[in-house]
Amino acid sequence: MRKAAYLAKERWKEFVRALSGRGEVYAPCKEGEAIAFRRLLPEETPCLDGPAVGAPKAIIYHQSEALFTFDFRKDPAAPDKAAVVLRAETEAPPAIILCDRPCDAKGFTIIDRVFLDVDPYYRERREKTTIITLTCDTTYAGCFCTSVGGGPCDAAGSDVLLTDIGHGYYVEVLTDKGAEALNGTALEEGAPYSKEAEERRTASKEALKPVFSGGGEIRLVSVQDAFWEEVSQRCLGCGACTYLCPTCYCFNITDEQGVNAGERIRSWDSCMFTHFTLEASGHNPRSHKWQRFRNRVAHKFVHYPEKYGEPACTGCGRCIRLCPASIAISATVAELAASP
Amino acid sequence: MAVSNPYLPDLATVVEIVDETPTIKSLKVVLNDREKMAGFTFEPGQVAQLSVFGVGESTFVINSPPTRKDYLQLSVMKAGEVTSAIHELSVGDQVGVRAPLGNWFPYGQMKGKKVLFIGGGIGLAPLRTLILFILDNRADYGDISIIYGARSYADLCYKQDLEDWGRRDDINLILTVDAGSPGPPIREGFVPAVLADAAPGPDDTVAVTCGPPIMIKYVLENLERLGFGDNEIITTLEARMKCGIGLCGRCNIGGSYICKDGPVFALARLKALGFEI
Amino acid sequence: MQDLAAKKLRIVAFLCNWCSYGGADTAGVARLKQPTDLRIIRVPCSGRVDPLFVVRALLSGADGILVSGCHPRDCHYSEGNFYARRRLEMLKRFLPFVGIDARRFHYTWVSASEGERWQRTVIDFTRQVHELGPIDEGREKHAPLTGPASALAAKQAEPLLFTNEDLETLKKTVSDALSRVDVVIAYGRGFDPLHAAPSFIERPQGADGLVFSPLCEQNLASYLTRLNNKKVGVVVKGCDSRTVVQLLQEGLIKRENLFVIGIPCNGVVSVKKAAAALRNGKVLSIAFTEGSMVAATDKGENRIALNDILQDKCGSCRHPTPLVYDVLVGGPVEATKDAPSAYEDVRVIENMPLSERLAYWERELGRCIRCYACRNACPLCVCRESCIAETRDPHWMTQETTASEKMMFHMIHTLHLAGRCTECGECERACPMGISLMTLKKKINMDMLELFGYVAGTDPAGKPPLLTFKVDEERLEEHKV
Repeated sequence: MRKAAYLAKERWKEFVRALSGRGEVYAPCKEGEAIAFRRLLPEETPCLDGPAVGAPKAIIYHQSEALFTFDFRKDPAAPDKAAVVLRAETEAPPAIILCDRPCDAKGFTIIDRVFLDVDPYYRERREKTTIITLTCDTTYAGCFCTSVGGGPCDAAGSDVLLTDIGHGYYVEVLTDKGAEALNGTALEEGAPYSKEAEERRTASKEALKPVFSGGGEIRLVSVQDAFWEEVSQRCLGCGACTYLCPTCYCFNITDEQGVNAGERIRSWDSCMFTHFTLEASGHNPRSHKWQRFRNRVAHKFVHYPEKYGEPACTGCGRCIRLCPASIAISATVAELAASP
Repeated sequence: MAVSNPYLPDLATVVEIVDETPTIKSLKVVLNDREKMAGFTFEPGQVAQLSVFGVGESTFVINSPPTRKDYLQLSVMKAGEVTSAIHELSVGDQVGVRAPLGNWFPYGQMKGKKVLFIGGGIGLAPLRTLILFILDNRADYGDISIIYGARSYADLCYKQDLEDWGRRDDINLILTVDAGSPGPPIREGFVPAVLADAAPGPDDTVAVTCGPPIMIKYVLENLERLGFGDNEIITTLEARMKCGIGLCGRCNIGGSYICKDGPVFALARLKALGFEI
Repeated sequence: MQDLAAKKLRIVAFLCNWCSYGGADTAGVARLKQPTDLRIIRVPCSGRVDPLFVVRALLSGADGILVSGCHPRDCHYSEGNFYARRRLEMLKRFLPFVGIDARRFHYTWVSASEGERWQRTVIDFTRQVHELGPIDEGREKHAPLTGPASALAAKQAEPLLFTNEDLETLKKTVSDALSRVDVVIAYGRGFDPLHAAPSFIERPQGADGLVFSPLCEQNLASYLTRLNNKKVGVVVKGCDSRTVVQLLQEGLIKRENLFVIGIPCNGVVSVKKAAAALRNGKVLSIAFTEGSMVAATDKGENRIALNDILQDKCGSCRHPTPLVYDVLVGGPVEATKDAPSAYEDVRVIENMPLSERLAYWERELGRCIRCYACRNACPLCVCRESCIAETRDPHWMTQETTASEKMMFHMIHTLHLAGRCTECGECERACPMGISLMTLKKKINMDMLELFGYVAGTDPAGKPPLLTFKVDEERLEEHKV
C-alpha cells in the first residue's frame, strides 16, 4: 500500500518536529570529522554531505545492552547461601530512523530473518522503530547495492521512502507503521509529483551498474586456501568493517558483577578478531587470519544465502571506504563469481 | 506477539558434586521450578548451558540418563574462567540452566548395529550418555566396544562406570593412558594409535567418537582407513559458545552451528560443510 | 583538626608496603588524627603502581587518588620508585589534558618513620579533594565542540612526486630484494584510484603493480611484527622509518631479518580528507600537478589544493628522509628548518578551561564504537590478541559502550604507548569515526620531550623513557608536598 505524499522543503523542520512527538528521532548528524547516526537535537538538520560512517544498526540492535540483571539475596537463616533473582527488561521506547539509505534499511531485513523470531530485545525495538529512508540520488565510492539485489531507491526494510525532487520530497508510505508515524505531519498530495520522482529514481539506478553478476552467488568448494591467504594478507584484523556493517550481527555475552548484583551483557563482537573462536584449551578453529576472512565472506555470500535466499550484504560500501588497508569485499566476490 | 526469552536461564540448585579426576567434576543440578524439572526431557547427546552468575556460561553435555527426571548431571573439566568458577561451587549454590540445546545422537539409525565408542579425556562424557542409553535398551543394539584413554590413570573419568562396563561380557573395553604416565599398570598409547592397533572391522558397526580436537582429527582419519563409511562415523564437537542458539556467529563450521545444528555430526556432514573443526 | 564537610568522599591511596604503609602505621600507632575518607591499597612498591590504576579508579568514580612510596634513593627494591617518579609525573600532566583536575591526583614519598608527614599528607590531600567536591559534580553538558583541527599549521611544502624513473628504480629494487627476503611489503593500488594499498610481493613479477605517490599513506612497518618468522623487505617513508627504529629499540623485530627500502617523502595526502572534499563520490582517475590533486569523478573534474588535503602530521614533519634504510630510492630531503611544532593542537586543548576539555573529550570519544581499529592498526600495539581492554583475566573493563568504558579503553591504549608512540598517525587514519586520537598521544610525547629530552623512533639504541630512569632527574621536581 503505497500512499504518495509531498513535503515541501520549507516545511522540513515542521515535519521533524511532528515526528519528534512520536518517538526519539535518529538521523545522520555531523560529529566532528564524521557523520554518525545519533539523536537529532531540536531544530537540528540531518547531515547529508556524505554517507554516514556507520549504519543505523545500533538504534535497533544496541551495541551493548543488559540481557538481564541478577541479584544475590542472602537468607538470614542460611547466610552462606544466596538466592538469585533474575530480571529481564525488553521494553523499548518508540523511535524513528530518519534519512537512512536503502542499503541501511535493507540491512535490517537481513538481521530480521535471524533475530526477529528468536530475540525479544531486537524484536521489541524493531517493532517500535519506524524507518523513514531517503533514496539515493548519487553513488558513493564503494557502493554496490545493485550487485546484491538492492538498489539506490529500494523499499526493502523501510516504512516510508523519501525521494528528493529538488523543491521537496516525494513521500511514499509503505507500511501501516509508516502511516502512523506520518499522521498529523503536514503533508500535501503526492500524485502530481510521482513522475518527477520516478525519473529521478530511474536515473539513480542506471548510474549504479553491478560490479559482479549473479547477485553475489559464489561457490567456495574449489577455492584454494592460497586464494584466501593472498586476499587477506593486508587485512589488519581491525574489525572496523564488522562494526560499521548494516548486516553484521555477531555478538559476545559477558557477565559483569558488582557487590551483590550484576548483569549479563550482550555486546557486538567481530569474527575478524583472533580470540573470537579461541577456546579455553588454547585450540582455535580459525586461528589464521585467512580463515577468519574466508568465514566472513562465506557467511555473507554462501551460508546466509543458502538458508534465506539472498546475500547478507546490502552493498553499502562502508567496509570498503573505511578499510585502512583498502580491501574491497566486492572485488573478492567479483573474482569468485567470475571463476567456475 | 511476545517471544519467549531464550537468553534467560532457569534457576537451579547444585545438589551434588563428585570429583571424577583432578580436573573433572560432575555436578547434579535440580531446576528450582519443580514442575519444570519433573517435565524435563532430553535426548542423549543434547547439551545444556550452565551459568555461574557474575562469571559466565558454558556448554556441557547432559550426562544424566534420560530416564532420570529428578536432576541434570553435567561433567565439567576445569579449563578457563567459567569452568574454574564451576569448580568453586558448593552444594546449595544457585546456577542457571538453559537446556536442552542442540541435536542428539542418531540412536534410531544405530539400532541393530554394533557400536564402537572412542573417547579421550572429558570426551567420554557425551559418549557415556549414549552408552547408558544403549544399556537401558540393550536388546536394540549389538556388541559394544569402548576404546577410552586419558593422560594418566588419575585422569580417567567415570572410573566406577569403567569398572562396571569392564566386567560385562557384552562390552569390550580397552583402556589406555598416554605413554609414560604414573599409576596402576594400564596399556600405554594414544587413543588414535590404539584404535589403529585394535583395528575393529567396520561391518555393521557405527563408530562414535569424542575428545580433544586433535584426537578427533586422527581418530576420524583412522576410522576412514579402517573402512568405516562417512555415515557410520559420528562425532560430537564443541567450540567456544556464547548464545547457544545459533545467533552469535561463533561456533559455526561453515553454515552449521555446533550449538544448534550440532553438536552431533556424522563425518559425511562435516565433509559437506568443508571447513576446519 | 578541622571538621571536614559532612559527606565522605572516596579517596583511594596506593601505598608501598615498606615505607609508606609503615609510615601510615606509625601515624596510627601514635594516634595521629586524620580524616577517614582514605581507603588504602597496599602494593609492594610504588613502582608497581601502573598509571592505569589511577585512571581506572578515577573513571570508576573515585574522587581522589594518592600514591605514596619510599623516598627516591631509598626504595626497598632499589629502583622501583625511580620508575614511579617518571610514570606518575607523566600521569600528573596527562590527567588534566583529558579533563580531570590535576589536584585529584597526588604522588609523594613518605618513609616508615614519618608518621607526622603521613598525617599531614592525608589531611592536606583530603581537604584538597573536598574543596574540589565529588568527581561527578559540576560537569558541563554539551559544551560547544571547539576542535583543535583549525590550529594545525598548514604546510606550505610540496609533496614530492615520484617520476617514472623513480618508480622503475623502486620496482627493480623490490624485485632484487626478493633474492634476500621472503616477501617485500610495498604499495599497490587500492580499491579505487584514490586509494593505495599494502602489497605483499613474493615473486619478482609482483613488483610490476607497484605504485608510489602522495596517496601512499599507510605505514607498512605495521606488518613487521606480524611477520616475525620471515625475512622481510619493507618500503618506508620518513615517518614509517621511525616505527622501524622504535621496533628495533624495543627488540620487537630483528635488524638482520629486515631489508629497508627508504623513500624520502615531503608529504602524503589524507585520503579521508580527499574523499570528503570529493563528497565520497566515485573516483575515476587521480593525477598530481603543481600543488594540486586533480580528481576525475563521475560528476566531473575537481582540482584540490594539496595543502588542503595533506595529512596533519606532514605539516610538522622533521624526518622526511628515512632514519634507517638499506637502500634509498629518490634523493634525501632536508627537514624544513622552521617546521611548525607538531604540538599546536595539544596546546589549543591545554588552553581550554578544564571543564571544556572534559566536554571535548567526552564528545570526541563518545563517538568511538570500540571497533579497536586504532589499536589493531598501531604498529606498536603488539598485544592485540590479549589486550587488557578485552580480557576477562585481568578484568579491567566491561564490554559496555558507556562514556567511561570508552574513555578507559583510550586511556589504556594511550598510556601503553606513552613514550613509545612515533606519531605515525595510523590510529587516526584507521579510525572510522575520525576521532583525534593522535592528540592524546602527542600530549604525552610533548611531555616526554620536555621532561626527558626523548623523541620516540629516532635512536635504535635508545630506551623508552618510562622503561628506564635516572637517579638524578634533571627536569623532575622531586618533592612537592
